[in-house]
Amino acid sequence: MNLHLSSNKLVLIIFNLLILLFSTIALSDEAIDDKVKKITSNLRCMTCQNQTIYDSDADFSKNIRQIVRQKLIDNQSEKEIINFLVARYGEYIVFTPQFNRRNIFLWIFPFLIFALSFVFFIFRLKKNPTKQ
Amino acid sequence: MISLIGFSGLILSFIFNVIVIVSYYYKINQRFNHIFYLALYCSLFFMCLSFFALMFAYISSDFSNFNVFQNSHSSKPLLYKITGTWGNHEGSMLLWLLIMSLYNVFFSFNITLEDHVRKLTIVFQSFLYLCFSLFVILTSNPFLVNSIDSNEGLGLNPILQDPALAIHPPVLYIGYVGFSLILSLALAGLILNQLDNLWIQVIKRWAMFCWLMLTGGIALGSYWAYYELGWGGWWFWDPVENVSLMPWITGLALVHSLMITKQEQLLKRWVVFLSILCFSLSILGTFLVRSGILTSVHSFAADASRGIFILILFLTITGFSFIIFILKSPHSNKQINLLFINKTSALIINNIVMLIACITILLGTIYPIIIEVLTNKRMSVGAPYYNSTVLPILLPGFLIMSIAPMLSWQSNKLDKIKNYIYILIVTSILTLLITYLTKFNIWGFTGTILGLWIIAASLLSILHNCLKYKFKKFFIYNNALIAHMGVGIMIIGITFSSIFQTKNNFTIQTGEIVNSGQYSLQLKNLKIEEKNNFQELLGIFLLHKKNEFLTTIKSSKRYYYVSKVITTEAGIYHDWFQDFYLVLGNEKNNKWSITIYHNPLVSFIWIGVMIMIFSGMVGIFKR
Amino acid sequence: MNKIFLFVPLILVMLISIFCLVFLLQGKDPSKPPSALLYKNLPDFDIINLFDDADVISNKDLKGRIMLINFFASWCSPCKVEHPLFFEIKKKYPNILLIGIDYKDKQEEAINYLNTMGNPYDYVGMDNKGLIGLELGVFGLPETFIVNSKGIITYKHLGPLTKKIITNEFAPFIQ
Repeated sequence: MNLHLSSNKLVLIIFNLLILLFSTIALSDEAIDDKVKKITSNLRCMTCQNQTIYDSDADFSKNIRQIVRQKLIDNQSEKEIINFLVARYGEYIVFTPQFNRRNIFLWIFPFLIFALSFVFFIFRLKKNPTKQ
Repeated sequence: MISLIGFSGLILSFIFNVIVIVSYYYKINQRFNHIFYLALYCSLFFMCLSFFALMFAYISSDFSNFNVFQNSHSSKPLLYKITGTWGNHEGSMLLWLLIMSLYNVFFSFNITLEDHVRKLTIVFQSFLYLCFSLFVILTSNPFLVNSIDSNEGLGLNPILQDPALAIHPPVLYIGYVGFSLILSLALAGLILNQLDNLWIQVIKRWAMFCWLMLTGGIALGSYWAYYELGWGGWWFWDPVENVSLMPWITGLALVHSLMITKQEQLLKRWVVFLSILCFSLSILGTFLVRSGILTSVHSFAADASRGIFILILFLTITGFSFIIFILKSPHSNKQINLLFINKTSALIINNIVMLIACITILLGTIYPIIIEVLTNKRMSVGAPYYNSTVLPILLPGFLIMSIAPMLSWQSNKLDKIKNYIYILIVTSILTLLITYLTKFNIWGFTGTILGLWIIAASLLSILHNCLKYKFKKFFIYNNALIAHMGVGIMIIGITFSSIFQTKNNFTIQTGEIVNSGQYSLQLKNLKIEEKNNFQELLGIFLLHKKNEFLTTIKSSKRYYYVSKVITTEAGIYHDWFQDFYLVLGNEKNNKWSITIYHNPLVSFIWIGVMIMIFSGMVGIFKR
Repeated sequence: MNKIFLFVPLILVMLISIFCLVFLLQGKDPSKPPSALLYKNLPDFDIINLFDDADVISNKDLKGRIMLINFFASWCSPCKVEHPLFFEIKKKYPNILLIGIDYKDKQEEAINYLNTMGNPYDYVGMDNKGLIGLELGVFGLPETFIVNSKGIITYKHLGPLTKKIITNEFAPFIQ
């Protein structure tokens, strides 16, 4: 178990190094395709019903896909692109709620009750007289 | 005429349910006992009359009925005329009432339960029926008469003209609405202070049945979404999907916790709470879907006044139930026997995890509503949110479920624990291998290891049991393990189909061949076919794998004349290990754009669900 | 302590109901998200005159007057429905500047369209690539913006206008 985790880490480190190496060079076509996929599958097609821009075939989506691609070629980061779109279409366009003060409850609450109930569970476990 | 019969049936059924409730209050006299049951059966009879009147109006394309006029068309095939009855808001609410009434009558045949508990349950069920009946009569009457004289209707949404979707609503509703009976049972048990063994035995069966139906309904719905929407996926964390998932999760928790109560006579308060919660979430879901408060692919015609009515229903029914729960909830005097790892604690972990997952989904679904009310800004809570909150929260539950059925109730021991450790090591190595062969992905890795571990450990447990029992009892004693194995298979299917899915776009000419992975695809020809109610542009493709001919795939676009809607019909080649999924796009310069998805192991999802449902059925019948 | 927990579901039910009720009563429409640019400065952009390619103005030059910006196109059928209403707006509120922007359209077709339907706008800009539309977050035609004299977007409407909307919702912003 331990062994393969560390080997995976190693792979990750190498992978990261490779990314560092390549990020200075212009992104290849395939890399851009991957990034477009990653970004657009987090974006809502505003004219569709709950579909991502990546999946959708609507004009609006094609347009945004093109804009995202162009901005990637212009070496903009994912964050810049998302911010650009959010400023124009509102937070509604991103499917992942942004991690800001307004949404902190949304992000923290599930994990908070999860942690609390497990603490409670373990607490009860200890209090319980063992019957063995 | 037929509308009049239907509407009278609806009203009479309402009146007979009032009689049921009234006669309960004069129960001293034996004569009223007869009236009680007679009224109950009559209400079902008139409800059926009403429902079949609407169905008849659909079959005979009676456009003097406004509902038929709006949702049907004479050129539709007979099957979709029949299923069109529940393909719209009003008709589906009528189906809801019919199912509610059916549950009430079938429950009255259940003689296991003591007479007074049974009667009070029927009374509560009748009361719930009255609430929803009032909703149908006042806001969504399917028997309105058409003010214009028309001999043609406006047509059914083409996306709904599909066999899977035709049976999806009834199955789903049998699950959804069935929770109303669970609620009635819980309330009756609470008020009469009769939460005894017998009660648990009865509620367990009904809850299991409802939950299985809900499982089937959701599976049908997502199977439909998979091949009809043409988006390549089968679950989109769409609000309407979430809304059906919430009662499913609480139902799952309920079905499991009923097992503890049966064994240990504890946690009754918790069981009652879950019973109330299941139906509460069903109503809330109905509200969210029918009020049009959410945007969704599965949207219904929205109407705010209906929304407010259901909201009031939701508030009254759940408010009332929770108040009774506060006032009458039983106190367990015995401490729960929690040990580090015994069956009780495993089930409690399951319950906690399920409830938190459900709360998270609820939070994600209504958070945009809260934010828009407070700040007038719209936001989305989409798939990435649920994937990164719900899935990690479910992890401990998945980890435990493989061995849970083998744990003992009282002691901390697991038989032959060494074997399980070996299994864990083997699965880890196996996953490691798979991971190296494919692209590394943390979710893929976790999902695979979980699925394999659940399947392997369940198999091992079954093997242990196999020596103990003969074949006849094999399924009965192992049904929990088999169900969990189904979950394991499903997890693997989900992991692979969502993470290792590939999507490629091509443009193709007639006769041209494109290569995608090991497959090569040739567009044989394109033709236009005229059907009764739609025109179809059919692309016929020849699929080869390593130069070996596999099959012809038909992928098409349909244009429905009446509703002027274009739908895509994905062409799917099912393989046990991979689905080849083809969507026909638009034409440009005589070249057609096509999208090819490779969805690995999708079939595992449906197999897993079937295994779950099968072993659930066994669970209903076992003592 | 345990008693308090029993009240939690009841309180949650109440809260959910209240929020949903308010949402419904405010008449919010899920298919029409509020604009992200509301109460923000109108972004700067250059507009090419539809009738004269050489005539380019920047919207910076237009500050000081209340502006109504309407996105339309010859291919958009709901636009035809609302089109006559702009003549009425023009008549009723003569001091506002009516700007029409032809969104993702062919120049000749747009000119043709305005010739047959009449031209209510003070200035018609051309946006055949949808770049101005992108700046303003336009995604479905027609869309109408009102910008006050300080250059701040005060109102946005998605979909065709109606008389009712103009009298009930526009009035405070264009007087």
